[in-house]
Amino acid sequence: MSTQAKRLTPYLFMAPAAVVLVVALLYPIAYMIYASFLDWNPSQRIGEATFVGLRNYSNLWSDANFRESLSVTLKFAALVVSIEMILGVGLAMLLDRKIRGMTVLRTIFILPMMIAPIVVGLIWRYMYHPTVGIFNRTLNNLGFESVPWLSDSFWSLTSVIIADVWQWTPFIFILSLAALQSLPSSAIEASRIDGATGWQQIIYIKLPLMMPVLIVTLLLRLIDAFKVLEVILVMTNGGPGLSTEILSLRIARTASEFRELGVAAAMSNYLLILLMLLTAIMFTYNRLAEARNARLRQAAEEG
Amino acid sequence: MNYKHNIAGVVAGLVLSGSVLANPYEEYKGTTLVVNFPAHPHYDAVRKVLPEFTKETGIIVEVDQLQYLKMREKQTLEMTKSKGDYDLLAYVVFSKADYVYADQLENLARYFMNPKLANPAYDPADLIDGYVANIGVAGGKKGYMDGPTGSLFGLPFGAETSILGYRKDIFEKHNLKVPETYDELLELACKIPELEPGMGGLASRAASGHQASHAFLLHLAPLGGRIFDDEWNPIVNNEAGVAAAEALKTIVNCGPEGSKTFNFAEAGASFLQGNTAMFLDSTVFAGSVNNPDKSTIVGKVGWAPHPMGTRKGSQTGGFGIGIPKNAQNKEAAFLLMQWLTSKEADKMIALAGGNPSRYSTHADADVNAKFPHMAVFGEALKDADPDWRPIIPVWGKINADLGTELSRVLTEDLDIKEALDGVAQRATAIMEEAGYYTWK
Repeated sequence: MSTQAKRLTPYLFMAPAAVVLVVALLYPIAYMIYASFLDWNPSQRIGEATFVGLRNYSNLWSDANFRESLSVTLKFAALVVSIEMILGVGLAMLLDRKIRGMTVLRTIFILPMMIAPIVVGLIWRYMYHPTVGIFNRTLNNLGFESVPWLSDSFWSLTSVIIADVWQWTPFIFILSLAALQSLPSSAIEASRIDGATGWQQIIYIKLPLMMPVLIVTLLLRLIDAFKVLEVILVMTNGGPGLSTEILSLRIARTASEFRELGVAAAMSNYLLILLMLLTAIMFTYNRLAEARNARLRQAAEEG
Repeated sequence: MNYKHNIAGVVAGLVLSGSVLANPYEEYKGTTLVVNFPAHPHYDAVRKVLPEFTKETGIIVEVDQLQYLKMREKQTLEMTKSKGDYDLLAYVVFSKADYVYADQLENLARYFMNPKLANPAYDPADLIDGYVANIGVAGGKKGYMDGPTGSLFGLPFGAETSILGYRKDIFEKHNLKVPETYDELLELACKIPELEPGMGGLASRAASGHQASHAFLLHLAPLGGRIFDDEWNPIVNNEAGVAAAEALKTIVNCGPEGSKTFNFAEAGASFLQGNTAMFLDSTVFAGSVNNPDKSTIVGKVGWAPHPMGTRKGSQTGGFGIGIPKNAQNKEAAFLLMQWLTSKEADKMIALAGGNPSRYSTHADADVNAKFPHMAVFGEALKDADPDWRPIIPVWGKINADLGTELSRVLTEDLDIKEALDGVAQRATAIMEEAGYYTWK
């Protein structure tokens, strides 16, 4: 009896946490998954909705607007995250030195991140304004033609990307800088003694050592990029046409404008699956890379 | 004079004491009503008038004012509860279909039949027909319209129609005639930028989605078109549909710079800032024209009815008020509703800057002394078209698709006929799925 009680004790202590996990995390997700099998409009209670099996999922595949929205999302996320990674890590490399007033500078750098998304959207919307916006006015003053920032499908996606890069590069910058500053100075000193140039240091020492942090940063940014809503909502509301209608905006419109909660839930599940796949791929890649490094290190030690 | 004043005082005293003359509000004195109103110029005016109601009836009104796009979500949540918190709510016209179909709004017949509640002096014939048909009635023609089988679920309150605003100074300067037909309107829209370099002809909304679709629908009805025929087949891609899209394209191309992505506020701002000579949209806009905080064209604007194409047909829209099925003080809510839409309150609200729901208020001398455009609005309202857009639950989806395609027509030069054919084809599929072809 007492041994059995002993064996149960750890579970007993874990129980509250497990309950919280189930109630707070799994229940809403399960609810969403269940909702995605329903034909459910917001005027009905969930119990009154009709069960339609996988119809929402299969309908979505044949829905050209959904596919376009998906491709816009992928394009947007890929571009935004690549540009931000390059700029953010680059800035961190440049500023990883003792500069006077660095703390002030750093605070200024991360300001865009701290502004509420709706405000960011509004600021950029006005800057892109065709007649009174600062961009077109500057271009006109310099003797150039106005650019249709938000009224042309190519430019509107570009404009949205520029705004997102402006807002989120600091996030990558700040994390990369933290990673850089926590690198072991011994490795960098050793490479300097061995005669490595600045570029070689970056490519062979700093970047590989920063990799675990960069992977997590990339992942966080990627997940976020798939879910941006407010900035785009305010700037273009998905237009012109569907050129900037990313998936999260389409989900919001499906739920509120088209009043199809089931379809919106199915779309969110597609997005969830996509994100989980990306996460899994990235972690697997990271683990493989680490395993390879470990093997190389071992081989080097043995040799 | 003095004598008259005394009489009035005595009568008021009697009414207030309640013991000599009957007071229909007596039973509900002290009741607190919770109402849901949008943040909207009309309802801002209503809030100024509401204390009068409390003074007269003893019924207290608590107002929950929300941004109008947020209302539907909150209301849906409230109305699916077994006991709702709202006794009276204002709904956007396209919510009518959903609420009535989900059986969430009270049929008003039993209140108007109740002799203790219904005021014989209410004069329902004075309510603007187009508004009542569009916002209040469901169950008649096509299901969402008025007609022999229709019944009343709400009353128009804060409703609006489309009207043409134009710059009197510009029109006088170039000796231009105020357009009465679409041909004249379109010709003028493109002539003005030539006469006044840098100025747009007509400011219209055009942003992707609801905005573009709304602008298109404004032209569709007067040009003789409809979204569906009487058997629910999409006819948006017929000749009238193409003409309406062409009209929209012409207007946007001859409009002020950047108008391809204007929403309602931006189109309005362009007119108020003096960058555009004409404005064709909701009457709710009229309130800001002579407000010097917002407008640089104070006193320079004239108003004319929505020009006619093959027929007259200005839009109808805005808000109505109804009583939720799960309300807790339905009778008192009806009394408030009746009071708010009565001749007296309609006038008070109009004078405070609201949109009147009655013909008499539009023609009223006091109202016109303060807002000279009201008489024109009242005339225009006689041609208001309650069926200028369908009010069916799947409309949201078709509307979004239409608006996206029109935005493509405007910004990517997509062929109009091709775009509308696509909309019609997808609309057919949506309607099929929703069961509109069950009887075919």
